[in-house]
Amino acid sequence: MSTESTFRNEPLLEFRRESVRAQALRALDELREKLPLRIAGSGEGELISTNPANPAELIAITSDSSRDTADAAVERATAAFVGWSALEAQERAAVLQRAAGLMRERRQELAALAVLEAGKPWAEADGDVCEAIDFLEYYAAGVIALEQGRPLVQLPGERNTLRYFPRGVAAVIAPWNFPLAIPTGMVAAALGTGNTVVFKPAEQTPACGHAVVEALHSAGVPADALALLTGRDEPAKALVAHPKVHMIAFTGSVAAGLSILRTAAEQAPGQHHIKRVIAEMGGKNCVIVDADADLDDAVPAIIKSAFGFAGQKCSAASRVLVHRDIADALNERLAGAIETLRVGPAEDFASDLSAVIDEEATARIGSFLAGAEHEPRATAAVPGDDGHYVVPTLFVDLPGDSRIINEEVFGPVLSSERVESVEAALALIESGTYGLTGGLFSRSPSTIDMVSRRGVVGNLYVNREITGAMVGRQPFGGGRLSGTGPKAGGPDYLLQFVEARSVSENTVRHGLVI
Amino acid sequence: MSIDGFETEVHAWGRRLAERLPHGARNPAALAERRMMRVMIGDPRLRAALFRFVDVRPACRDRGELVRHLHEYLEEASAGANGSGTARRLSGLIGRRPFELPTASAAALGVASMSRRFIAGEDAAAAATELTSLWQRGRCVTLDLLGEATLTEAEGDVYAMRCADTLNVLARVSAAWQPQPLLEHDGLGRLPRANLSVKVSALTPHLRANAPVRALEAARERLLMLLRLARDSGAHLHIDMESLDTRQSITELVLELLGTPEFEHGPSAGIVLQGYLTDSEEELERLLGWLRERPRSAPFTIRLVKGAYWDHEVVMAAQNGWESPVFTDRRSCDRHYEHLARRLLDARAEGLKLRPAIASHNLRSLAHALAYSDRLGLEPEAIELQVLRGLGDDTAAAITATGRRVRVYCPVGDLVAGMAYLVRRLLENTSNDSFLAAQTTGAVLDLLLEKP
Repeated sequence: MSTESTFRNEPLLEFRRESVRAQALRALDELREKLPLRIAGSGEGELISTNPANPAELIAITSDSSRDTADAAVERATAAFVGWSALEAQERAAVLQRAAGLMRERRQELAALAVLEAGKPWAEADGDVCEAIDFLEYYAAGVIALEQGRPLVQLPGERNTLRYFPRGVAAVIAPWNFPLAIPTGMVAAALGTGNTVVFKPAEQTPACGHAVVEALHSAGVPADALALLTGRDEPAKALVAHPKVHMIAFTGSVAAGLSILRTAAEQAPGQHHIKRVIAEMGGKNCVIVDADADLDDAVPAIIKSAFGFAGQKCSAASRVLVHRDIADALNERLAGAIETLRVGPAEDFASDLSAVIDEEATARIGSFLAGAEHEPRATAAVPGDDGHYVVPTLFVDLPGDSRIINEEVFGPVLSSERVESVEAALALIESGTYGLTGGLFSRSPSTIDMVSRRGVVGNLYVNREITGAMVGRQPFGGGRLSGTGPKAGGPDYLLQFVEARSVSENTVRHGLVI
Repeated sequence: MSIDGFETEVHAWGRRLAERLPHGARNPAALAERRMMRVMIGDPRLRAALFRFVDVRPACRDRGELVRHLHEYLEEASAGANGSGTARRLSGLIGRRPFELPTASAAALGVASMSRRFIAGEDAAAAATELTSLWQRGRCVTLDLLGEATLTEAEGDVYAMRCADTLNVLARVSAAWQPQPLLEHDGLGRLPRANLSVKVSALTPHLRANAPVRALEAARERLLMLLRLARDSGAHLHIDMESLDTRQSITELVLELLGTPEFEHGPSAGIVLQGYLTDSEEELERLLGWLRERPRSAPFTIRLVKGAYWDHEVVMAAQNGWESPVFTDRRSCDRHYEHLARRLLDARAEGLKLRPAIASHNLRSLAHALAYSDRLGLEPEAIELQVLRGLGDDTAAAITATGRRVRVYCPVGDLVAGMAYLVRRLLENTSNDSFLAAQTTGAVLDLLLEKP
């Protein structure tokens, strides 16, 4: 049976039930008792993570790895490759499934960790845990399916096979915004297909990264086949340049992604292969609202897409392109809806959005806001404490060359522009550089069909929010400057992590087909 | 008395109601509509196309847009080997120029006339004649203000003001009505003539499934204002129930406010219990517990409904991987509804200041409640039956003819606001599980009255 007919997403916690919320809050209290977490590392310097909503609260203390630590990890992973890649696909898949089980047992605790370390509101933190479990289960099934190879044309006298083999050592460089799901997905895909992994989590979320590694080690991945490399930029750069790294799976900014692609293209001394780079980068995601849209649906969906997790998702909506006939009505309701947003600590179930990840982020988003060509149309109130809060903001009718319209803000900032038609909106999107997610609100089948064909995005969402891709249901990833295009959580993703080998055997002996 | 004996009484009540259903066949419009319903029940793809058209109708700026959308929906419905033949014929007709505008106009008119059947008018003042006429014919009403979703504070204010205006208009209009003892008194005292159903989700944009506390704070002031107004004008305020996501917010808010000394003696108020929720019995026990602990002198109404968000609840649960919170089997659902109806009537018989209202279009459910009420020896006014305007008109006539109290739930609002409501009602009316659909297609009375 195909993965698609058997796989089901991990059920989300039903937070609308009081008892489920109470259980989550208990898990948070228990985690707090253990803080700060101390994560062993072989680096020299110290690296700490803090609660974005309360920077005085220390979450984890670990080490800042150096180039030497990175090199050593690659050497160990190279040695471990022999044994790990020799395992049957079934065995590796079983390890992934065991890790899924271990994460399932710690659901509340892991979600609480994402709440505190990444500032993810509960529902989204839980979604992060579920997605991590989904990746493990989905890729486990995919690994077994991939082991069968692909059918080929067979003629008398020859036996043709196509099978897939791991590449070698994979460097996984992960972001902080999905601190559990994204690294789990990249690591699981690499390990499941038989590669060994050196994993560098984002400097802001080392404890989440450690939790992923801990689950996989406990599930049976040998220590050297999966190394955790906490730290800042230096170890990541060392990994990318290392001659014994065969592939790099990266999710993060466009600048970092392009730099990785450049470095990876250089042949280092002692390097005998071309490095494969999987890069998932940013977006400048637009939502088109046609004149026949139902604003009762469009407004909440746009708000959720733009301001969920304070807009810190690569899939987040940042630009609304609305048909001029309903632009005033939409803007009015968007503005009013933004004013009702409640900003507060992620751990408070009543918060719609929380603090952004760190001080650098508040400064970066602040510079966008300060440079705006005119006053915002609407804002929401933020707490006056030390949390890294950014005011959720709506701009209407900014000039076409505005930075806010053209660059990725990665924060709770939305702009709305009026367009003559859906075609005009598509032209604006095409003139940009990104192609990750996009949204369309329309009740016309022909318009939906046209945008499905012409939209340049990797993930188009029709009459719904444009975030929250589910493993197996909405394979995720974009093209253009948004990434190299593999679809995480989709049927083709694992192919990025393997090399195909075709074997053709002559089965004719002495003139007989045997 | 034996169980079988009770079933005999249920069937007797069912027949009594069925015999008093008006003969719709004499009315050509009703005949045409019944024929159309039969077509839609048998042709799901055509049904989907027409629903989508009804849904988009208010967003179409001109007749050109109307034609385009209708054409596209019909084309989609007729595509493929199992496409709808009727949709194909209609789509071909619209594709021809001379027919375009007349068809669009007819379709738009059709939608408007359908919506008038379900929606009593643009607002309370416009619906006044209809409300008075219902009263004269022996039926009381509750008004429901349709509107777009409340997404902003301003929209919450507008809805609250509309509610306040409606209470005032209802007080004025109903003051001139002739006395109707059955509709105005029961053993617990006076029943207000003015009766308004409100939605908490329309009062505030702060309903959050994961944080009921948000709505408790945000809707309090507006609901307080309406409760005071209802108390001072002697009206009944009923708080509707919506999707499960909002149940905790709504229930806590209502019980908290009604529990304050300020509202000890009024207004007459009520809440809704949705029988399709598998945990609705616990919810009922909670409400009854509250009633026992906090004896208000003003009676409390519990309206028992099956529930109108069935698809939403099932889809949400499936997409999130949750156990369905609603019964997925019609018979279990009907059985549970009857169980809850008995619990409600028991509680009334026990002496609680509770007014049970049985809202249903299912003849069996109504007959069951009436028979049980009789069996408990409750006076005829102790039980109230409720139906929706447009869907339950015949049922209401039959109930009135048996000398029992029936309240007609009357939505008012403009065309835009009415569409979502209309689509929901039409879907309900033509779904395979619908009691009314079974009635329309001519099922035998004994089958309709069968014990679930």
